[in-house]
Amino acid sequence: MSFLVVYLLLLKATLSSFSGLAALPIVRHDFVVQRHLLTDHQLNTALVVGRSTPGPKGLYLIAVGYFAAGVPGAVAGWLAVVTPAILVIPLLLFARRRIDDPRAKSALRAIVIASAGVSLSATLPLSADALRNPPLYIIAAVSLALLIFTAWDTLWVMLGAALASLALVLAGVMTIPT
Amino acid sequence: MGTRSAVSVKPSLAQLSAVFFRIGNFTFGGGSATTAALQREIVERRRWYDTLQFGLCYALARVTPGTNLFAFSTASGWLLLGWRGALAALLVASVPCCVLVALVTVGFDSWSRNRFFQAAIAGALAASVGALLASFWLLVRPYLDRPHLFQTLVIVAASIALSLLAGWPPLAVLLLAGVVGFFWKGPAQ
Repeated sequence: MSFLVVYLLLLKATLSSFSGLAALPIVRHDFVVQRHLLTDHQLNTALVVGRSTPGPKGLYLIAVGYFAAGVPGAVAGWLAVVTPAILVIPLLLFARRRIDDPRAKSALRAIVIASAGVSLSATLPLSADALRNPPLYIIAAVSLALLIFTAWDTLWVMLGAALASLALVLAGVMTIPT
Repeated sequence: MGTRSAVSVKPSLAQLSAVFFRIGNFTFGGGSATTAALQREIVERRRWYDTLQFGLCYALARVTPGTNLFAFSTASGWLLLGWRGALAALLVASVPCCVLVALVTVGFDSWSRNRFFQAAIAGALAASVGALLASFWLLVRPYLDRPHLFQTLVIVAASIALSLLAGWPPLAVLLLAGVVGFFWKGPAQ
């Protein structure tokens, strides 16, 4: 499969979605159902990789590109996930001219607040998946407290959580969630 | 729009790149957790821009197709340092984590069976839940002042209900919020 075709297929998916895994149905249709470039198992693996690595969940598209066309496919995947980001600049230019309008400010405030609500809704299924035993609840609660009440860097909080979890497993206090 | 953080000097390209590299590539939990970490760093700690400018980048990134985090990075970089800031933020936030995804994909079978890897990922994902909840609080907190409290609570409750109970896609919820906000200005700014 050529670099260009993989790029265009993945770009179609990213341009027609607005968050994390929203492009998944399009990707599955194009890569698994229609062109047989991937199996469902590979698509699942790509999703797990995207979830197990830092950064946006949408990076599973890099793994999709890799499975479809090797390293050039992974590069096509990277290009497909970064290309739409450029579109924010004309939006920003347009919005900045109107930002002093009280109605525009109010609309912006409402979008930010609604984003927080939407993100909180998305946290619930993630929590059910990520917090499968009591020590993990404690790790999540301590992380929340550190991020709200201290100036600790998020990187160190994440790293500390990973090390705490590892230590708890090695000490036999916690089992690895399957 | 609240503007509780005073703005200080603009960053250099190296400072901007360092922040987007560090946070964009080492935060687990998806784009929302990473954006929350960037908010803490850029608005709360370094004060490179204020809550209004953060809100502008954040809201526009949410309605831009594709990966919200990369649109947010591009918008923030552009706002702070123009085109070179936008390109630098986009590249440093995306290239290393994409390379990591490719490497993990190649060795996934052996990685996924490694007990230490599984244990560490479980802890990082638990922390990402904490980061997402912290992100909710950090986003909403500036709008909990008395004049805006009622409007904020109504929008939060409605957006949760529409997402969770009615199954609306995020973009539809955000567009509706924008329309509601446009016509319901709330108290004078």
